[in-house]
Amino acid sequence: MVNQPQFSFPWTRRYRLALLVLAILLPTTLLLGAGIGAYKIAPLEIPAILLKGEGVEYQVLTALRFPRVLGAALVGALLAMAGAVLQGLFRNPLVDPGLIGVSSGAALGAALFIVLVPGSASLEAYALPVWAFLGGLLATQALWWIARTPFGTQVAILLLAGIALNSLVGAAIGLLISASTDQQLRSLTFWTLGGFSGVTWRLLLAGLPFALLALCLLLPLARGLNALTLGEREAFHLGVDANALKRQAVLGSALGVGTAVAMAGGVGFIGLVAPHLFRLVAGPDHRYLLPGSALLGSVLAVLADLLARTLVAPAELPVGILTALLGGPFFLYLVMRFKKEVYRA
Amino acid sequence: MLEAHNLGYRVGGRWLLKGLHLSIAPGEVLGILGPNGSGKTTLLRLLAGEIPLSEGEILLEGRPLAVYRPSALARTRAVLSQLQEMGFPFTAYEVAFLGRLPHLEGRREKTEDHAKTLRYLERVQALPLKERLLPTLSGGERMRVEMARLLNQEAKLYLLDEPTNHLDPRYAMDLLQLFRSLAQEGAGVVAVLHDLNLACRFADRLLLLKGGRMVAQGRPEEVLQPNLLQEAYEVAFQAWEDPSGTRVILPLTATRG
Amino acid sequence: MRTAITLFCTGALTLAGLAWAQPFRAGDTPAKGRQGTASAERIVSLDGISTEILFALGMGDRLVGRDDSSLYPPQALRLPSVGYQFRLSAEGILSLRPTLVVGRDDVRPPQVLEQLKAAGVKVILYQNEPTAEGAKRKIRLIAQAVGRTQEGEFLVRALERDLLALKAFKAQNAPKGKLRGLFIYARGTQTTFVCGEGATPVGMMELAGLENAAQGIQECKPMTAESVVAARPDVIVVFKRGLDSLGGLEGLLRLPGVAQTPAGQRRKVVAMDDNYLGSFGPRAGRAALDLFRAAYLQEGFVEVAPR
Repeated sequence: MVNQPQFSFPWTRRYRLALLVLAILLPTTLLLGAGIGAYKIAPLEIPAILLKGEGVEYQVLTALRFPRVLGAALVGALLAMAGAVLQGLFRNPLVDPGLIGVSSGAALGAALFIVLVPGSASLEAYALPVWAFLGGLLATQALWWIARTPFGTQVAILLLAGIALNSLVGAAIGLLISASTDQQLRSLTFWTLGGFSGVTWRLLLAGLPFALLALCLLLPLARGLNALTLGEREAFHLGVDANALKRQAVLGSALGVGTAVAMAGGVGFIGLVAPHLFRLVAGPDHRYLLPGSALLGSVLAVLADLLARTLVAPAELPVGILTALLGGPFFLYLVMRFKKEVYRA
Repeated sequence: MLEAHNLGYRVGGRWLLKGLHLSIAPGEVLGILGPNGSGKTTLLRLLAGEIPLSEGEILLEGRPLAVYRPSALARTRAVLSQLQEMGFPFTAYEVAFLGRLPHLEGRREKTEDHAKTLRYLERVQALPLKERLLPTLSGGERMRVEMARLLNQEAKLYLLDEPTNHLDPRYAMDLLQLFRSLAQEGAGVVAVLHDLNLACRFADRLLLLKGGRMVAQGRPEEVLQPNLLQEAYEVAFQAWEDPSGTRVILPLTATRG
Repeated sequence: MRTAITLFCTGALTLAGLAWAQPFRAGDTPAKGRQGTASAERIVSLDGISTEILFALGMGDRLVGRDDSSLYPPQALRLPSVGYQFRLSAEGILSLRPTLVVGRDDVRPPQVLEQLKAAGVKVILYQNEPTAEGAKRKIRLIAQAVGRTQEGEFLVRALERDLLALKAFKAQNAPKGKLRGLFIYARGTQTTFVCGEGATPVGMMELAGLENAAQGIQECKPMTAESVVAARPDVIVVFKRGLDSLGGLEGLLRLPGVAQTPAGQRRKVVAMDDNYLGSFGPRAGRAALDLFRAAYLQEGFVEVAPR
């Protein structure tokens, strides 16, 4: 072994600091998101408008911006935490909620609804999320069934099954797309590109119980995931019921991603980037990583949405394009910096 | 402490282990020997509760292994398996702290848990490593951190799978010394070993396996007989006593034999 | 792959729309002392046809916003665009402070319509019917909504006159048999569709007396060489911009299957301005007449400009 540079980080201080900064950043971002938009409203007038309780400004704030900003925050938190948990579960930092087929399962559910239920336009806003969620859950269930072996669920098999399922679902969606009419196609593309412009209070409140349940399933996994970084057998040696952990992680992330996808369509990158950024800035300890990723995911989603709806106002950019465009380069920069720090290369 | 009766483990109609009996008392070190593929690691995994028995019974502290929940099991026995790459770069301290996990069930971590982690890191002389990232440690350093994690479990029984693999003689001796002293404190130790001479010095009793069956079990001098070893390994062995009276075993190559 | 293409197309359309969007200034909308209902003070149009109808009704100066498909008349391009009509956001539309929003009834996401209504904006929606009757219904609906029923009737009568003229012209130049027309939608050689029943350009072809060669196809389907050959079109109709995206006439003729059709062999292709061919609005009668002339009375490749 060559001489290793002896360096030391005040690790836990770094974790706590990161969480603190994010805990301050999130409310700031939410206020920023609620205060800025295509419809010009002076920030200082907002309290007066809210007190008045009527008028177009009041409508824009309460019926459009508030649910939208909160929806973005919720979706960001769900995707980021599901991403963090799945990365921990698969012991692979490149895992994305899309990988185990949850996202494509949800997409298939939505596509089935749009193409197979004719004359559904009026129902769409409310029925589509349910179908997307069911699709995601069904895909995860199928994956679970495929990946089971007499010795429990092996991660390698789970991954392979996920890949197979993804391509199968992709083919099914392709089939539906080629069989769909022009109008259905428009619905599909709107839905797969993602965006928060359709988030209403009703949609938000419908998704909230699912979101909370997902968070309740995912947050307690932190210690088990920490043990799992040593390996599946080692986690069991440390008293972690690895199969129960996997079941809860898959169910929780299916629920989280399904809810997120149902609310906003396919908003990519956040589930991959938020946990990564937190790990690079603070560290990989899941006790901090899970809440940290959720906060960071919220901040990223709200900011991305803010840019998406203001950059080209009164029109709008697809938010997924922005998350990729902003997240990618920043992420690359951090990777390069991290590489220098650890490997001196 | 640990009793195993008539152990059998079968995969697809083939018995990997069959008809094994063994027991470990507190303060005792049991070494498991045998050629590659003789079922040593499988036996350890059965004892750890990782895989279910096909036949027989294992009693840990008088209760069948199957009734233990994973966390209760982890408070009773600690396992050192072959080192793997970590999923994410944790610090040495974070890894050692993971050993507290079975004791944290249903409660928050306290200062005491961290104090213990530091104490055990100190005991294995790994305290200066505590803020280093695990992937940057050498094999010996990494093993010391794993030892601290095992100690942190405060278990009564230690199951070790080839603990001296990839360690130079000094680290290997340090490690075995540590487990001897743990045994003196009342712990039971089961270790799968490759090096016959280390096994001879380290273990109170030895179990020699071949093809999943027991060839011999007993005190090192009883088991490390050239004829028994030849039966197990299919190579001729020669044994003699060194000046201190300890037995030394060496295989004889075919040309020389 | 298909998804990727669809996504790419939608993205490209959106970006194209952005390029046309102009910054909005308060000074751009005078409109004082005009007749019209109070709710029609500031109008956002979410579809190309409604934009065209509003300008034809003389309400162009009341328009404060448009969608990406509103490209005619050219003055419309000066208005800020709220984006693609199937990717709308309520706040973007509201930021133009409209009193009236007009568009198709299948805009996306549908929640936007509820949000607009909740903010007190009047919303007028129409069904997208690719027929002359549909065009009349749209004109009357919008005219009534902006309080210009009279002007609306003038437009409808003008359209009816055009349709009569078309009928008379068709009778005069009675073709021996109906020609089979095939509409090909193209955005580059990799994105080619054949359109049939229910597609707007096909409705226009039928109005112009062409027989729809793509029988059994609902709306638009990815084009295959064999389906093109089997359709046996006597004339191929394309959007002008679609033809440009293929690299002109030669590019179209090189598409698999096209050269094996009667139209391909006689190089009988009509390229028509996108908005002219693709809109059933006030100009529908004229557009059909121009298409009839190009298909039946002229030889070889014809480009039809709007009038």
